[in-house]
Amino acid sequence: MDYVAQILVLMTGLLPKLVAGFAITLAIATAAMPLALVFGLLLLLPRLENSAVLVAPIAAFIEVMRNTPLLLQIYLIYFGLPLLGFYPSEFTCGVLGIAVQHGCFLTEIYRGAIESVSRRQWDAARAIGMGRLKAFRHVILPQALLRILGPLGNQLIILIKDTSLVSAIGVMELTMTGKMAIERSAASAEVFIAIALFYLVLTSGVGGALRVIEARTAGRF
Amino acid sequence: MPHVLIASLPYLLQGAAVTLWLSLIVIALGTLLGSAIGILATIAGSTIRRLITAYIFTLRGVPVLVVMFLGYYLFPAVGYRVSAYFAVAAAQIVYVSAFVAEIIRSAIVSVPPGQVAAARGLGMRRGAILREVILPQAARIATAPLLNNSLTAVKQTSYASVVGVWELTYAAREVVERTLASFQIFIGVMAIYFVICYPLSMLARWCERRASIVY
Repeated sequence: MDYVAQILVLMTGLLPKLVAGFAITLAIATAAMPLALVFGLLLLLPRLENSAVLVAPIAAFIEVMRNTPLLLQIYLIYFGLPLLGFYPSEFTCGVLGIAVQHGCFLTEIYRGAIESVSRRQWDAARAIGMGRLKAFRHVILPQALLRILGPLGNQLIILIKDTSLVSAIGVMELTMTGKMAIERSAASAEVFIAIALFYLVLTSGVGGALRVIEARTAGRF
Repeated sequence: MPHVLIASLPYLLQGAAVTLWLSLIVIALGTLLGSAIGILATIAGSTIRRLITAYIFTLRGVPVLVVMFLGYYLFPAVGYRVSAYFAVAAAQIVYVSAFVAEIIRSAIVSVPPGQVAAARGLGMRRGAILREVILPQAARIATAPLLNNSLTAVKQTSYASVVGVWELTYAAREVVERTLASFQIFIGVMAIYFVICYPLSMLARWCERRASIVY
């Protein structure tokens, strides 16, 4: 009983800090998400246009980003950009790192969904006189979007979890708050159980919302 | 010229050896534990099944870094003095096992029920059906996702440096703090990770293509 009371007192004391950290985590995720979604699209454009000069270097870039740890990419941005004369904040570096790697993963998801739409759909759309852009917008994209929702949702949940890595360059988000709390107060492992709960609520909330959207759209088209 | 990188290459390769060991241990034990949990989830009663669902759901919804910190502080809190290396490896094994369990569980569930009915019609026992009919087919479905999962596990070992485990990424930070040659070192170290990860990701892609062929 003593233990429970002690933990309760500790947690209520820490709660404002944890909520503040959670707000930063949310800010990182909401900043990185649209950037990653758009960056993924940009990487896809040369391939859709079949521009030979750009396809090979972009494919190589994507392979490198997919096969190296996100933590190192964040370090490279954070410790590398100052050498080039740029001094972005830790927050910006973290968001940038997350957006670039997740953009690369998202490109592959977009590409997979577009390629999964039958070649005949393209041919049919072109045969009835649609231009490339029009065929893409009205025939391919709507079908691809339906197939994309599942993997897209998974990727966004991974993105949310990856925001914890920004703690490595000193951003006071949720994970860092926990580390600081342990180093500066009597708090112990229990803090990280509370933090895990915060993350769990966020990821399962987003996951649940995406599943609802998926169920709603399943009947369309 | 990348002279700093060349000078510190032996030190970085020592770190790479630790990263490789950590990866091998985490992947081997994580896959073993996860497979056992995944198989158990398909044959156990409803209480155990619910517990496994909660295990998978909880771990998959939390960042691996948080699980590592939890492991790092939990062992001393319950009275065990272990090295940071051990705590982090244990945390990563548990984390990876949740993903493996879900892969194995869904692979087993996706084996057509007609296969089980046919095996039972032949008079096979439950254990034999699992061993000789379900698992071989499930293994084929699960191979590519398991390889991709191992790829993620290798990359995840770098996060151990944040908790204070000396491996490749930690060594890289040490060298950068000493020499300030951040571009050379971080790009060089990314190249080392790439050499480890790329074959794994090619293998995963090859398995994906093979699995999509229907005999």
